[in-house]
Parts: sequence; C-alpha cells; structure tokens
Amino acid sequence: MNGIHDLGGMHGLGPIDREAGEPYFHEEWEGRVFGLFFASFAQGHFNVDQFRHAIERMEPAEYLQSSYYEHWLHAFETLLQEKGIISPEELDRKQAELSQMGDQ
Amino acid sequence: MAQDHDHRHDHHHNAPPSDTAMRVKALETLLSEKGLVDSSAIDAVIELYETKIGPRNGAAVVARAWCDPDYKARLLKNGSEAIAELGFQGVQGEDMLVVENTDSVHNIVVCTLCSCYPWPTLGLPPVWYKSAPYRSKVVRDPRGVLEEFGVELPESVEIRVWDSNAELRYLVLPQRPAGTDEMTEDQLAELVTRDSMIGTGLVEAPTS
Amino acid sequence: MPLLTRDIVGGLVAGGASCRMDADVVPKFKAGDKVVTRNINPASHTRLPRYVRGKRGTITHDHGIFAFPDTSADSGTHSDPQHVYSVRFEGEELWGKDANANACLYIDMFDSYLEPAES
Repeated sequence: MNGIHDLGGMHGLGPIDREAGEPYFHEEWEGRVFGLFFASFAQGHFNVDQFRHAIERMEPAEYLQSSYYEHWLHAFETLLQEKGIISPEELDRKQAELSQMGDQ
Repeated sequence: MAQDHDHRHDHHHNAPPSDTAMRVKALETLLSEKGLVDSSAIDAVIELYETKIGPRNGAAVVARAWCDPDYKARLLKNGSEAIAELGFQGVQGEDMLVVENTDSVHNIVVCTLCSCYPWPTLGLPPVWYKSAPYRSKVVRDPRGVLEEFGVELPESVEIRVWDSNAELRYLVLPQRPAGTDEMTEDQLAELVTRDSMIGTGLVEAPTS
Repeated sequence: MPLLTRDIVGGLVAGGASCRMDADVVPKFKAGDKVVTRNINPASHTRLPRYVRGKRGTITHDHGIFAFPDTSADSGTHSDPQHVYSVRFEGEELWGKDANANACLYIDMFDSYLEPAES
C-alpha cells in the first residue's frame, strides 16, 4: 500500500528528537498495549502482517500525529472489530463506564 | 511527539472525548471479561521487557565477539545461533544478521515501513528510532543523520544502510576502540552503547 | 488458540515466531546476480517500499525460505513461501545526484519483488 507509513526518502519531517534516559514505557498504558500484542498473538486473532496493515490503513494525518503505541492501539481496535471479537459500541460503553467510576 | 496525547482519534467511533489511558483500560477490561486476556500475563510481559531484555544483552554479544575470534566468526556467519549461545533469542530476533563495522565500512540500521528492531539484543526501540524524521531521512542521507548524532566519518568510509523491511533483524558489531587491550570482557561490555549497535554511534575508549 | 497466561509468557517470548518455512522452493537468484525490483503498487500490504521500486541492485546473500507477507496479510496464515535475499543498491541508483558520497542500501527482498537485470 502506498501509505503514509512508507516514509523512506521523504523530506521535511524535522530533526531527530532524542530523549535522554528514555524509559521503555512513558506511561502505564503503553506497557498494557505492548502486553496486549502478545495476548492477541497467542490467541491467534491476527498475524503480524495483518497487524501492520491495520496501522498502514490509518488516516495519514493521524498516523503522523500519534505515537507508536497509539498506532498499536488503533490496530487492535480495528482488527478486533473487523473480526467481530468486540464491537465499537461495547468498547465505548466500557470506556464510559470506567470513566464514570473514575469520576466518583 | 510521544508525550502529547491530546490529539487522540476521538472522531473514530462517535466515542465521547476521552484519554488514551482510559481507552486502553476499557479494551483490556473488555477482553478480560470475555476470557481472552489474562491481565497477570500482561504484567509478566511488561516485567520481562523492563528488566531482562535490553541493550546490555547486545553489549555482551559485542564484547564476546571482541574477545573471542571464534565466537566472532560464528556470530557473523549465523547471527541467531551465536546470539542464542549467550541466551538471547526469541520475538523480533528470530533471524538475525550481524554486520561488522571496519575501517572502511560503517553500518546503520532502520525500518522505514514500521519500526522493526532486534528486541532480544537491544530491547524495545527508543522513540527516535520509531519516528518519522529518522525513518525518512536515514536511507536518503545517512551522513546527515550521523551528523545529527555527532558522528562524522570520512568519505572513504562506505556507509551501508540496512532497512529492516521484512524478515531479518540487524545488529551492528561496532569497532573496538583503541587502548582497550587490557580490559576484560565485562569491562568492554560496559563501553558498548545501544546507539553503537544501531549504527548511530561509535564506541568510545574510556576517558580516564 | 491458547489464552496467554503468566506461566507461558517466558516460553512465548523466547520461542519467537519466525516466518521461516520448511518448504522446497528453488531460489530464482544467487549471490552476485544483478536484479531489478518490480514496480508494483498494490493497495494491500507489501514490504517493497516505494523508494526501491524499479531500481537495479545486486543480490549479496540468500537467507532461505520465508512466508510472503504480501500474501500472508490476506490469508491470515503463513503463505506463498519463497527465498529472501539481501540486495544491495548503490546510493546513486536510489537518489541520483543527490545521494550521499560512498553510501548504499541493503534491504530484504523476496523473489516476487525481483526480476533479472542485464549485468
């Protein structure tokens, strides 16, 4: 796919921004997303090529503006929904439920 | 870029505005309720990659290669097997090719399409390795990238860029710095930086 | 398919998941052969980046037989086994006059991406 992920040779994407003492996971959720990859992989919901293609199909501006583990989250949501394992509605419902619990 | 999560893709599923952490929690909870995810296994994955799998593994491989010519020969011939001799193997290191820097060749590794990286030897990649600026530029202008990392090499040194686009994962075997003949393998491993095994850095001799 | 539990995490991580396949496939090329990459533009998954399409290079190593990701992304299983090579491209072939001095690219190429080139 001639997608935004195919970056080799492009100009104008800015300087390489390095971070001293970078942690493996900047926030707890990044680690959870990373672990979910192994869980999904063990379950055989999708293979790595399908996982990558789900990232490649992201809306281009969103791809460039979001982080690596956000790409992964996007791929999980896309593939698990496409394969009928979760529905967008139940995920939204669960999120609203957890947010409400958090507000109390 | 990685710290800024305010631009989440909220337009997706008509979801109420929300933060990424809550979305991830919702996904894990939902999958857990369906019996598809055991959260304690996710804890174990995180623990493994935060404590056991990192660039110290790669540094041990490099130091061994510097001290043991037979090991180095095996490493360059069959990277996966020689790395496994030291106990490092598995996901994203199944098929390893080790490429050697010399006085006339400098190697540098990227994944332009994705962010493939040799996890068993280097751990999880830093944000800059996964970023659009590095992935776009290093294949077209590797000397410019090296300059950004403070590395300048004469034109007589051939720069080989390795794009990990498919099956192989690459580990750079950096040059052993001069003046380290008396050092032990463990001391040498301490000198080896992550960037020197990606190819964006060189191993420096100890200053004292 | 198994639920990932704490006790199998170590084995799964250490075991990995190579896409290497035990198949009897004859290589189309050998080290030293001159090749030209195909100019393909599929809307589906591919590991042939735009910047190396239609370029001339040299096979430097045959890594053996692997599943072909372009097909596996559709089938969901390891499919279409074929040889993977390291192919070397000179900087000027990829970037013309704007290439760095004395720089080149090595990249993994499947048989399906390559055609023979006249040397």
